[in-house]
Amino acid sequence: MFQLEAPLTGRRQVARDTFVLSFAAPEVAEAALPGQFVNLLLRPGPLLRRPFSVFRATEGRVEILLRAVGAGTAGLLALEAGDRVSMLGPLGNGFTLDPAWGSVALVSGGLGAAPFPIAAAAARAEGLTVTWVHGARSAADLCSEWEGDDALWATDDGSRGHHGSALDAVPDGIGAVLACGPNSMLAAVAGRWPQAQVAVETYMGCGTGVCLGCAVPLASGGYDRACREGPVYRAAAIDWKALPGHLHYAVGA
Amino acid sequence: MSDLAVAVGNLALRGPVMAASGTFGYGTEVPLLDRTKLAGMVSKGIFLRPRAGTPPPRIVETPSGMLNAIGLQGPGVEALIRDYAPLWASWDFPVLVNLNAESIDEYGELAARLDGVPGVGGFEVNISCPNVEQGGMYFGNDPVAAARVTAAVRQRTRLPVWVKLTPMVTDIAVVARAVEAEGADAVSAVNTFVGMSIDLNTRRPRLANRTGGLSGPAVRPLAVHLAHQVARSVRIPVIGIGGIATAEDALEFLVAGCRAVQVGTATFVDGAAIARVHDGIAAYLERTAIASLEELPRCLPKD
Repeated sequence: MFQLEAPLTGRRQVARDTFVLSFAAPEVAEAALPGQFVNLLLRPGPLLRRPFSVFRATEGRVEILLRAVGAGTAGLLALEAGDRVSMLGPLGNGFTLDPAWGSVALVSGGLGAAPFPIAAAAARAEGLTVTWVHGARSAADLCSEWEGDDALWATDDGSRGHHGSALDAVPDGIGAVLACGPNSMLAAVAGRWPQAQVAVETYMGCGTGVCLGCAVPLASGGYDRACREGPVYRAAAIDWKALPGHLHYAVGA
Repeated sequence: MSDLAVAVGNLALRGPVMAASGTFGYGTEVPLLDRTKLAGMVSKGIFLRPRAGTPPPRIVETPSGMLNAIGLQGPGVEALIRDYAPLWASWDFPVLVNLNAESIDEYGELAARLDGVPGVGGFEVNISCPNVEQGGMYFGNDPVAAARVTAAVRQRTRLPVWVKLTPMVTDIAVVARAVEAEGADAVSAVNTFVGMSIDLNTRRPRLANRTGGLSGPAVRPLAVHLAHQVARSVRIPVIGIGGIATAEDALEFLVAGCRAVQVGTATFVDGAAIARVHDGIAAYLERTAIASLEELPRCLPKD
């Protein structure tokens, strides 16, 4: 785990209101595994750090995917090249990849694409055939960047690809499913592929396991911490009824 | 370099900056802190038995602060003794255990179980717990109940007993004097303020628990005032708590009459916050040619 001052090196738009930010953070980029996250602090800005999945980590740079949903993300989007954030990471446990699967589907909804470019690269390096399955409300909301051998799209309004859920676009006979998106979508993933690995979304305080704020209710009872034991879980391990389905971010600074 | 050592009752601390309960876990999880600057820590609050905690969402950020309703999730006292106390015994700063219970007898039982366990350096009694035998009223809101809790713990141990005061009272000085009279060695002032935040998308409370404890810079002026009121009301040392993120914040509490401080929420943002506060206090004393921390409270004019 590193904590460093990371300058913004790039920003590009990848969907409506959605951007990839790139920061120079060599130590974090070197250490980051697929599914791990970084916790970013902006000063001046909101009190707490904000967690972001690592989108890509190459050539000394850490990329994140974000949309302006509150004061924290708005502040990040207002950064200019060279402006620094405090980056803590990499944090959490990532996806486990098994070459024996043969193939894997990376299934995402909206900002849930966040952990998957790095996961796709790692999966291909393991010899897996990677199918990128990505859904959003509308064609304009689909993340334009993807990685893998094949991409399948889904939109709620039918404007591109499958008309409906990304889950329905997953091809039959796939070796394994990794998923990320709204918790309500992940609950549906759990119903269909209990063995899938899912990256959950929670509010988070410290990111290091101290505050117990990012509680994830477990099917076996009790809670553990998205930041330490997660954020990647076996889908069947979570008590989905007790996990908030959608988080509203409206924190004023 | 100024000597920052302080004494809180019989407990000698190598500096004035401690880690607040609930923000430092059991001492094993905060990264990147130079612990030579850490004067001591108060453990996450513990009950006799394991507790699952409250459902999520458990935290929400508010302007300059955060609300939390963790529900004192914890492994129970036996697991704490087995898994953490042996580590604490090898550390070079004292660990106080934050005690929580739903009855006066349970507070006493908890103290008795922990008394004499190597690694347990003292107790901080959290009286912001509902008294199940008295209809759920918080012990800390009633000076009589607060005094009885203090007495129950005091009778079971010779280790330092600190009582953490709640700010949610009409007159905090009354509660402070009540626990002092029952043998508290110090008081920690103050615990979080009860707050609520509503999500206008759902028109429901943001926290599943509806309400939570407000901490962070938002509460600091309130906490400085309350700590000051307490310091003027009792002879025992006061540990200042509430929104401390910088040395200047801590110094406000020290000038207001506190012997030491605890850093809490700031640790969530920066694991090294405690060390920064420690270093900043030392630099302030050098810069102002104030010889020792004990001079600071004397700087404040009386009324």
